[in-house]
Amino acid sequence: MSERVFVTGIGTISAIGNDIESTFHSLLDSKSGVGPIRHLKTKHSNDFVAGEVNHSNEELRMMAGLSEDFICTRTALLGIIAAREAVKNAGLSNLDMETTGLISATTIGGMDKSEIHYHDYIQGDNLEYAKTHPCGDNTEKIAEALGITGFSTTISTACSSSANAIMFGARMIKSGQLDRVVVGGTDALSKFTLNGFNSLMILDKEPCKPFDENRKGLNLGEGAAYLVLESANAIDLTGKTPLCEVTGYANANDAFHQTASSPTGEGPFLSMKRALEKAGLSPGDISYINAHGTGTDNNDMTEGLAIQRLFGEYVPKFSSTKAFTGHTLGAAGAIEAIISILAIMNGFVPPSLNIKTPVSDHYIRPQKEALLNQVIEHVLSNSFGFGGNDSSLLFSKLRK
Amino acid sequence: MMNLTVSQSIKIENKKVFLNRQLYFEMPQDTDFPTFTKALYKHAETKYPKFFKMDKLARLGFIAAEVLLNGQSLTEEYPSDKIGVILSNSSSTIDIDTEYYNTIKDKDNYFPSPALFVYTLPNIMIGEICIRHKFNGENNLFVEKEFNPDFQIKYINGLFDQQRVQACLGGWVDYSTKGYEAFLFLVEMADEAKIPFNIESILKLYK
Repeated sequence: MSERVFVTGIGTISAIGNDIESTFHSLLDSKSGVGPIRHLKTKHSNDFVAGEVNHSNEELRMMAGLSEDFICTRTALLGIIAAREAVKNAGLSNLDMETTGLISATTIGGMDKSEIHYHDYIQGDNLEYAKTHPCGDNTEKIAEALGITGFSTTISTACSSSANAIMFGARMIKSGQLDRVVVGGTDALSKFTLNGFNSLMILDKEPCKPFDENRKGLNLGEGAAYLVLESANAIDLTGKTPLCEVTGYANANDAFHQTASSPTGEGPFLSMKRALEKAGLSPGDISYINAHGTGTDNNDMTEGLAIQRLFGEYVPKFSSTKAFTGHTLGAAGAIEAIISILAIMNGFVPPSLNIKTPVSDHYIRPQKEALLNQVIEHVLSNSFGFGGNDSSLLFSKLRK
Repeated sequence: MMNLTVSQSIKIENKKVFLNRQLYFEMPQDTDFPTFTKALYKHAETKYPKFFKMDKLARLGFIAAEVLLNGQSLTEEYPSDKIGVILSNSSSTIDIDTEYYNTIKDKDNYFPSPALFVYTLPNIMIGEICIRHKFNGENNLFVEKEFNPDFQIKYINGLFDQQRVQACLGGWVDYSTKGYEAFLFLVEMADEAKIPFNIESILKLYK
């Protein structure tokens, strides 16, 4: 049993950077990664903007240090690059990996490759890629590249997937089942999701404007992020200084609609409230909320109402970073967890971009400019998914 | 000492439905999925027309929960935010993924369908169950090679230990063109566990 769960390493790749450092600088400089679609082959490339990782699969393969023989998808390549950085950041050796678990989230798995080779598959060609289609195969590829041979599993709960992976990893450490676990998620852009979200009519053709009165929808993005979580026991053995602590987490179901939030944001309210309860904190302790803030009419309205309901008069600083990265679906929870951790480590509040007019039905106001030299003790990170699957994570500065 | 008991279970496989290990409903082996589930829907006297808009995976999970709960309203016994749903499967949403993909794969025959796309996430099945029964508690979906009772028992036990749930649906709901299988069980607290929530019981019920 470990009463406490520590974050000892982080790694990410997204439209705003290939690693932690470049990600942090993009956030600090309000530099969005949302732009024209260059790599995904779609007839919609001139219709929409997206938060695409600006590298071809070949370039990603080089960055991941993998040979041509290592058959894997873009989803797995992004995952391997981010997970490698997290493991390196935590100072783990190859030997450590044998006793490390992996919980990886994804929503589209190997769809990117299946789309390219779909017609080949029917002809019986390129079948080696067909095996990379399942969500679980991407987890296995990441485990293989990292040398993780122990416990591994895959979570698929839409846009809250990687928040749930982090929550589950923290629980496994608390219950003493693991001393160390790599947790996070990865998703590549695909025609599948671009067409799907377009058919739902919730894509903004321009860069998205979360928490703006005139928001028109979300931009899709891609990327991956992983955290290394360790128990107090593991920390004692190595004497390393953790980056921060996972103090709270909760998941709730909105039980309202497959793709829309309930008018009162019941699920979001419950997940935030119970994450605070788990950490033994009160609303006034929270320094910053990294909102789910997709830029859709429905999400931002109901998330804002849930925040107002929970926090009342004294609402902490909050922002959505989706206008930087696009909505990276199964990776979003982990990417935003890392942004929350960067906020704690650097006394920093990332801004919500593209806001001209705040939401008139809210009295709360998002943070529009990056802030440094802040006292950031506790950060709440929200991830809400289709199916009403709502999760909140709570990260805290290390107690002296 | 808190005892966890499996108060209900259901298994749907090979056109047969076993409720608490008793044969509840059966159809000929050559019955197709829509006919089978529609007949089961009628047999259970379900009134929920949205059922027919669901994809096959959600329909399977939904009707399993419907027969399992059999009109019992768990929210009268427990706070709605203390009722959880933890499921796993192997095929994720491959069936509806393929169906949806067929709507976008050809330039000449291109009609991306929102009604299909919505179901291309396995946790939508959990959402449908939660919407129907007003469960607001923790819900999660794991993609695993096969049904892993050890894993589910540990996860659900953890939820009870941490007082996250007071009742929880667990199990396995898998649909692909190769076949389908649903196994759901309801875990509750009891003074005396008639069917203790452990691997032996779950394997026996699953068998």
